Amino acid sequence: MTPAIETRALSKRYRRVTALSEATITVPEGRISALVGPNGAGKTTLLRLLAGLARPTGGEVAVLGSPPRQDPAFLADIGFLAQEIPLYRRFSAEDHIRIGAHLNSRWDGTSVRKRLESLGIPLNQTVGTLSGGQRAQLALSLTLAKRPRLVLLDEPVAALDPLARRQFLAHLAEAVAEGDLTVVLSSHLVADLQQICDHLILLAASKVQLCGDIDTLLAEHQVLVGPRKDTTAIERDHTLVQAVRTARQTTLLIRRNGPVIDPEFEAADVGLEELVLGYMGQNAGPVPAHLTTIGEDK
Amino acid sequence: MTWVVWRQHRIQAYFAAAALAAFAVLLLVTGRQMASQYHSALTSCTASHTCANLANTLILGTPVVSLLVTLTVVVPCLLGLFWGGPLVARELETGTNQFAWLQSITRSRWLAVKFGWALLAAAAWGGAVSALVTWWSSPVNALQSQNFQPGQFDIQGIVPVGYALFAVALGITAGTLIRRTLPAMAVTLVVFTFLRLVIGQDFRSHYLTPLTKTFSFLHHPVLPTGSYWLVSGGVVGPGGRLPSSPLHGGLNVSFGGVRIPVGSTPRACQTLVFQNPLKFTSCLASHGYHAVITYQPAGRYWAFQGIETGIFVLLAAALVAVTAIVVVRRDA
Repeated sequence: MTPAIETRALSKRYRRVTALSEATITVPEGRISALVGPNGAGKTTLLRLLAGLARPTGGEVAVLGSPPRQDPAFLADIGFLAQEIPLYRRFSAEDHIRIGAHLNSRWDGTSVRKRLESLGIPLNQTVGTLSGGQRAQLALSLTLAKRPRLVLLDEPVAALDPLARRQFLAHLAEAVAEGDLTVVLSSHLVADLQQICDHLILLAASKVQLCGDIDTLLAEHQVLVGPRKDTTAIERDHTLVQAVRTARQTTLLIRRNGPVIDPEFEAADVGLEELVLGYMGQNAGPVPAHLTTIGEDK
Repeated sequence: MTWVVWRQHRIQAYFAAAALAAFAVLLLVTGRQMASQYHSALTSCTASHTCANLANTLILGTPVVSLLVTLTVVVPCLLGLFWGGPLVARELETGTNQFAWLQSITRSRWLAVKFGWALLAAAAWGGAVSALVTWWSSPVNALQSQNFQPGQFDIQGIVPVGYALFAVALGITAGTLIRRTLPAMAVTLVVFTFLRLVIGQDFRSHYLTPLTKTFSFLHHPVLPTGSYWLVSGGVVGPGGRLPSSPLHGGLNVSFGGVRIPVGSTPRACQTLVFQNPLKFTSCLASHGYHAVITYQPAGRYWAFQGIETGIFVLLAAALVAVTAIVVVRRDA
């Protein structure tokens, strides 16, 4: 089966800045993939390249089996929701539904109306007067009304309060359960992603750090806690992701190659948040001050 | 997509339609009055054989309406600013293009429909205003023969359609390149005004080689007929063309529409200016001077309208091409 997304050494350079460097990822069909990474890691750039809103400066990208292109058939299969939630502020939800009906060959306006009614979002009020959460719900409903095969969401829940966030993700999970849909969802909020995602793409410093099935990735990693001692032996057998050493204790995050046999170290399973923070910390330098913001609301 | 364009811009369309309707009513009412005023004046002057002097005695219309008609010269520019400027820039500014460009419609089609309707509307509005002004001006044109003169040429006939197409295309292109509405409007205003002035003042008179006419100072000048356009005039003597000079003692002597640079004429003649202008011109003639004008004859009016419209339509077409390339190729 062709993966929903496949890139090879995908790069995007703006005049001086490299926004994305040699990204090679694969997202199989039917997955909900979490795209995580610190600010400026290239998440938005990657999503825009996949949606065809930006052109790569290097590498290859195949979305649903072909490079993103200006073609009604391709566009019909892609749903994209930008971070700013771009909607026409002076138009109502109903106007947007009708615009969608005019611009798409496949369009399910009824589902949008039903969904908005169940959420208590007025159809005839201008979008500018809706709350951030209501706008995000409307935008997601419109994105899904195209009945796309791939949905790309750029930090859709960043601006939402916890309740709205939960509603939004529930809405998304429902849509995925209903149909043959692949989702890539970027976010800072690892805890939220853990509930609905089964695939992870981790970006840091414009590079892909991890890409794969979440359960597999978690099983491959382990946290080792032990006394302060030389860890060369462990580092030789396994891949060290992150090491935190205090006066008495050493904490290691490793990618395992087989079982760890060092009685002085206690092995523990890794959570998604730990894993993500471990890889981000690795790239952030010795004082990862900005990491304190990860996992918090923006 | 047409429905979307209509939904997005119907308020502007209503507003512009209302303004056009009000303008049309005003011109139709005052135009009829003016036409009947002109015809009754013509009837009475024919009876009294004084029609030769009619242009100097009859004042047609009211100053306010005449001023308003003259001001229609800014209509194409306003269309460029308020229709062209925001058309794409507003979407780029608010990011709504990311919504539009991910519906199942290609960017080129999206742009083509938006641009197409904007140009059509520009041509319709520019053409309607111009048609009204042209009809309203017909008694004035007949009386004053000035519709080839800069100012009148620019608001009558078909050139306003060309200007409107160009202005709207310029607004859209500026908005696409700059991605912000207000700066795009400012650039549109500056570039449009600059090009109109340069083309009107420096290029228009050269579309076709002007004709030349020489007047002897001894005879009453026989001017070209109809609404010809006087391009230049001067006095030529044995030593060539007289340089224009500041007015001599505040005196303005002109002959057949040609201003005589009194300060550059022979001293012997200059002293006669104060005694008798006729003696002055005879003196110039006896010193070998004559007046020369270059002009565009009235018969070339529509050729000039066509050429000028063509230039602006071609410029607009070039802008359409640039915008299409930028929208399709550039990252959103």
